Amino acid sequence: MKLEGEYIFDGPREDVWELVRDPDVLATALPGTQSLDQVGENEYEGVMNVRIGPVAGVFSGRIVVSDEVPPETCTLTVEGKGKPGFINGTGYVNLIDQGDGTTLMKYDGEIQIGGRLASVGQRLLDTTSKSMIRQGLETLNKALQARIAVKTGSGEVEYKPPSESEFAAAVAKDMAGEALSSSRTKWIAIAVVIVIVIVALILINIGGG
Amino acid sequence: MTKKYIGKRIKRSEDPRLLTGEALFVDDVEIHGMLHAAFLRSDYAHAYLRSVDVSAAQAREGVVAVFTAETMGDDWQPGPPLVSPPPTVEDVIFHSRTQVPLVKDKVRHVGEPIAIVIAENRYIAEDAVDDIMVDLEPLDAVVDIEKAMQPDSPLVHDDLDSNLAAHIEQEKGDYAAIREGADLIIKRRIVIDRGAAVAMENRGVVAQWDAKSQRLTVWDTTQAPIAIRNGLAARLDLSEHQVRVIAPFIGGAFGPKMMMFYPEEMLIPWVSIKLDRPVKWIEDRYENFYATTQERRQVHDAEMALTLDGRILGVSDVFLHDSGAYDPYGLTLPLNTQCHMMGPYDVANYYSESKVVFTNKTIVTPVRGAGRPQGIFIVERLLDLAAKELGIDPVEIRKRNLIPPDAFPYEHKIIDQAFAPLIFDSGNYKPVLEKAADMIGYDQFVKDEQPRLRAEGRHVGIGIVPFIETTGVGPYEGARVTVEASGKINVATGVGTQGQGHFTSFAQIVADQLGVDVRDVHLVTGDTAEFHWGTGTFASRGSVVAANAINASAKLVREKILALASKVLESPEDELELADGVIRVADIPRISISLGELAMLANPLRGAVEPGTEPGLEATAYFGPQYGAIAFGTHAMIVEVDPQTMMIEIKRYVAVEDCGTVINPLIVDGQIHGGVSLGIGNSYYEKLVFDENGQLLNASLMDYLIPTAAEVPRIEIGHEETRSPLNPLGSKGVGEAGAIPVPALFAQAMENALPEYDLEILEAPLSPNRLFELLREKEREL
Amino acid sequence: MRHLFDIGVTVNGTRYERTVEPRLLLSDFLRHDLGLTGTHVSCEHGVCGSCTILFDGQPVRSCLMFAVQANGHEILTVEGLGTPENLHPLQEAFWEAHSVQCGFCTPGILMTLVPFLEENPNPNEDEIRAAISGNLCRCTGYQHIVDGVKLAAQKMSASQ
Repeated sequence: MKLEGEYIFDGPREDVWELVRDPDVLATALPGTQSLDQVGENEYEGVMNVRIGPVAGVFSGRIVVSDEVPPETCTLTVEGKGKPGFINGTGYVNLIDQGDGTTLMKYDGEIQIGGRLASVGQRLLDTTSKSMIRQGLETLNKALQARIAVKTGSGEVEYKPPSESEFAAAVAKDMAGEALSSSRTKWIAIAVVIVIVIVALILINIGGG
Repeated sequence: MTKKYIGKRIKRSEDPRLLTGEALFVDDVEIHGMLHAAFLRSDYAHAYLRSVDVSAAQAREGVVAVFTAETMGDDWQPGPPLVSPPPTVEDVIFHSRTQVPLVKDKVRHVGEPIAIVIAENRYIAEDAVDDIMVDLEPLDAVVDIEKAMQPDSPLVHDDLDSNLAAHIEQEKGDYAAIREGADLIIKRRIVIDRGAAVAMENRGVVAQWDAKSQRLTVWDTTQAPIAIRNGLAARLDLSEHQVRVIAPFIGGAFGPKMMMFYPEEMLIPWVSIKLDRPVKWIEDRYENFYATTQERRQVHDAEMALTLDGRILGVSDVFLHDSGAYDPYGLTLPLNTQCHMMGPYDVANYYSESKVVFTNKTIVTPVRGAGRPQGIFIVERLLDLAAKELGIDPVEIRKRNLIPPDAFPYEHKIIDQAFAPLIFDSGNYKPVLEKAADMIGYDQFVKDEQPRLRAEGRHVGIGIVPFIETTGVGPYEGARVTVEASGKINVATGVGTQGQGHFTSFAQIVADQLGVDVRDVHLVTGDTAEFHWGTGTFASRGSVVAANAINASAKLVREKILALASKVLESPEDELELADGVIRVADIPRISISLGELAMLANPLRGAVEPGTEPGLEATAYFGPQYGAIAFGTHAMIVEVDPQTMMIEIKRYVAVEDCGTVINPLIVDGQIHGGVSLGIGNSYYEKLVFDENGQLLNASLMDYLIPTAAEVPRIEIGHEETRSPLNPLGSKGVGEAGAIPVPALFAQAMENALPEYDLEILEAPLSPNRLFELLREKEREL
Repeated sequence: MRHLFDIGVTVNGTRYERTVEPRLLLSDFLRHDLGLTGTHVSCEHGVCGSCTILFDGQPVRSCLMFAVQANGHEILTVEGLGTPENLHPLQEAFWEAHSVQCGFCTPGILMTLVPFLEENPNPNEDEIRAAISGNLCRCTGYQHIVDGVKLAAQKMSASQ
């Protein structure tokens, strides 16, 4: 499965790079992470709760950072497995200075998924993983802003990492937002909701009658 | 013999118990002290097993034992092959590689079992499965059968040079020569993909070893209890009489429940003996998608040579057949495909080459149809394309090629799945084809209705496909019929029952032979303690082979009855009649004796008997056909397609079948309905999708779509009856017939429904998605 | 340390009191704790309908419920519908119409139909097919089942 995309961070490249290499911050950006420890100069080990549709479970894994050219590019190799299956992948991350104080992150990766995650969660994998990444990057951006505020002394910008349920709700809303993004689908969705309401009313009447 | 029950639509005797939840299925078996098993299965399709650490699992409260291939020690061995390679054909290559109880060195498909946990209940067992640490070193998976045959492909079995499991060529006449003189050659590449049986009941095994009486009892969702019994006795070093295998009520089978052994069938009895406790394992639906066998994937390069007036001169085909990780079922499937690629047609020249290929996917063994749907798909598609090119009506081109009624027995000079020469015993094909065309109103539809509907902008298509089915193969079955002192009749046979109504159809045969009420005939199937000779329920043979064995033994009992009654009633045999549960003098009915009383007289407690007398009114007989009987049928369908949504509606569906003598038409109708509904799934809704890593992407009923009552239409059935000369009852099998022509029928009807696209459907299954892609491709071209 | 709960469930008119784990599925509770094996488990993910029972009169998938959720409620399973000696008209109709082949999906279909026929005493073919479209059957192709429902509707309205 290919995973690629872009995200704009509100901060300079060096700060983004620092953040991305800080396991304590990364751990909070993806709720469900039970632990993320640096075990070598370029190696991390972690344990994470994963839920994709009806499939949920704990994954343990290793992340290796290689081909580093700070603060520009690096390659991440991930190996994770758990009861729901396994996830292996390689991703290429590129940070570009936009020249206006923001940083464009481009990522491009390929993951192999197996086990129950692949067999039962297949339909949701694409949208869920994209959404999880987006939410994670948004959280990182908030952490970035908080850190910059502290550094520049421009006041407290609170960084409150989302809880697991808040994160899940944000992912769900994000996925639904995607579905409703085009105006045509939005009208269809509204029509569906109206129909559901009507049917529900009818059923309530039948049940009561 | 008065014909009172054979041919009648009789209610089934087993239904009241099934309807009230009183029938015993394997998961209903509860034994005091029973333990429960769960398996750790591989998530990788191809991997070296480096280590397994079960210590945490063993330490969990409620876990009694955990076994791996290592801890099985010398008891670990691969399963025996269920079907061996054909002995009579030269130059056949066959590498037998069979499934293993637990993975020892290498995982060869997702779902292969690595460890088994035995615990107080299934919930704890599954918890403990998660405790097991397994180290697998993933390898590149072999998934695509064409890539698997390339020289640089990874090997599924390291001790072989390639992934070739088997190679067989068959020929008749000389296709290469006839090709030169043909007016038209239709040559196409055709791809057919995997489907699963998805019986509503998943597999299960309960084993109870009784150390005090040294007896093993096994309840198993198997189609072949006798084979399992004999195999288990041999493997576990027991006498066959110490092992009893019971196949109770089974919730559908359709082929995959015929195996020897599934890893679980071997392991559970072994564990029961090892722990001296009863053990139960029930498969869950996720396991069923990986660990129960599947079928259908083949890639064909097929060719048909014809004359200008549509006469088939010859068929030639080279195909790859996907066997999955192992090949316990021999060459049955490719042989079936080969035997059906000439269809019901008079074809003098034929060449077929089949390469069976190992892949890192679930094992392939027959699923209802068993290779026949693929063969029929090939021949019917080629013929349809020829009809288009030659401008001949599809029904007409088929009529021109059907084997004429005076050509039977028709010899095809190739071998079938039973390694016997393929001979079509009897048939009268044209009336069946015409009846189907008539019932669906073919001519009137094509001439009037279809143009009218098309003018309204609707996309309706019609299809009609004739087909043959090899049925009723040997080797044999047996039965024992006994008249009891109560006057009731007890019948035992070795085949099992998975919904086909054997309890009733077999009883009808006996009731007619012995002149009793069909409800007074009690049948036992699938219990090796009751009858232990036979092979099993498969390949549409129950109503041929077992039924004839039952008929034969009932006849022997009838002879005994007449002989004894003749003495007792002091009347010659030819003046006696059997009716209403008594034997009486035909002209003087008050001179009679009930069957029960006669049975008691036949088994005296005192006195002397004449030498050579056998006690009681009982007989055992066996039946083995010379070769398989060939059934014939024709299905026709009118379908409407919405080219916007790709949804279809089957407006009408007609199935005419000729399976020789019919014992119970109600049951036959039910078999056809069920077969057609599976066929509809195989045509438009069901497809097992594997990714390049051998992961099945739709291993649940949410994503693998079984047709519901909304998708299956009302099926109109017609019967013809051309008796088979191969058995006294004149019957042929019909269990798989419903499923065989459907994909070919769909392809024809869909092409016909969308004429502006000039489609060539060379694959099965289709799906709304796939149809969308095909239409878009065509739009880009036009 | 396992958490256990005491529950009281009325099944087919009989009250049962048991102590169960919260994660015990209702289908397993009925089949193995109470020995009512007529309800069958086929997919455990709510798609096939084989496990359908009546929960306070409504058809529900017992494989998607926990036993503890049934505490204080009334359940009807196929065993409560009729016996071989005394069949419910729906069961009788199924028998006559050959609606049963392997019988595994049958109890779930019967329980789905009981409230359906109460609300639709005279259904047509399309309505019947829609009503059972949530129950998968691999053996019958549904036709004889639909015939059985029509016959049952006749029987049940005749007896009223």
